[in-house]
Amino acid sequence: MFYLSELEHSLRVPPHLLNLPLEDAIKSVLQNLFLDKVLADLGLCVSVYDIKSVEGGFVLPGDGAATYKVVFRIVVFRPFVGEVIAAKFKESDANGLRLTLGFFEDIYVPAPLIPIPNRCEPDPYNRKQMRWVWEFDGQDYIIDDSCQIKFRVQSISYPSVPTERAEDAKPFAPMVVTGNIDDDGLGPVSWWENFDQIDEEEE
Amino acid sequence: MKVVKANAGALTNFEVLDFLNSRGASKDTTRVIAPIARSEYKVYDYLLETAASTQTRESVNKFADKCKDFKVAKAEILNIINLRPSSIVELDPIIEKAPEGQEDRVIDTDGILELVKDLLPPLPTTETETPNANDEEETDNGEHPNATAEEETDNGEHS
Repeated sequence: MFYLSELEHSLRVPPHLLNLPLEDAIKSVLQNLFLDKVLADLGLCVSVYDIKSVEGGFVLPGDGAATYKVVFRIVVFRPFVGEVIAAKFKESDANGLRLTLGFFEDIYVPAPLIPIPNRCEPDPYNRKQMRWVWEFDGQDYIIDDSCQIKFRVQSISYPSVPTERAEDAKPFAPMVVTGNIDDDGLGPVSWWENFDQIDEEEE
Repeated sequence: MKVVKANAGALTNFEVLDFLNSRGASKDTTRVIAPIARSEYKVYDYLLETAASTQTRESVNKFADKCKDFKVAKAEILNIINLRPSSIVELDPIIEKAPEGQEDRVIDTDGILELVKDLLPPLPTTETETPNANDEEETDNGEHPNATAEEETDNGEHS
């Protein structure tokens, strides 16, 4: 789920940070720049791991800030295809489910990847939402927020920033993970909790 | 900005949790003093609920070592450590079908489950009798929960 990535960047340390020890000042600038941001093909930057080297420190003419060239490592969230992750249910609509990890919310399970036979019905508890129900062996298994939902990563995409958007479009998601819950052991954890004793093959 | 190495190493959930802990993250009210950003706390809170919160460095290292005997791929070992499956049904989606060229790769799934039970500590438990400070609750897959233990209170986070 998490990887270390090594990056090199030239950054300027603004003058108001110059009273701090150099490492702290650079770390603070790096955090402002990278934390909680998505880097294309690298993933969501979670944390600055460490600073490997710092060089420079020149002050360019006309500027009050020092410029450093820093090589550092960051922890990125980048799930790989085939990874199984436990997430929480966020919302669902006619196209499928949306799951969240707390720090990352753009996980979508499109309708074709929900185990069939299934049906989508208006949620009796929440008028705006649709609820997905899996029918198996005569029993209905509901997908809701009662427990964690395990899914397997199907693909990750980094859509490019749109230049124009409709007024009510969803906020732009720079990283979208598509998940699959159509397999043994995937889906809400409560579906599989009683299967320790029964040695059945699901679906 | 230049990417020197896009992949300088995969980290298990445990290692990320350990890293955040070493910087001072915590569950209680001292968290406002720690030099940890809000977005990092979201990751921290997520990790606390997973199996990573009960693991130790030695158990993870030992497990990874022993897994090599089972001919499991590195990505699969990572998945197993992160998820801590306690039954075949949970282990199944992790183990991939044999890739080409390894058609007769037979994985000893029972052996792996034994190893998981021995070496990796169980998931954080939530019993309704012992109230804890966490907002989220999760049942221990090894035990058989009764109907009320399997609850998850609404999380207090709104992102």
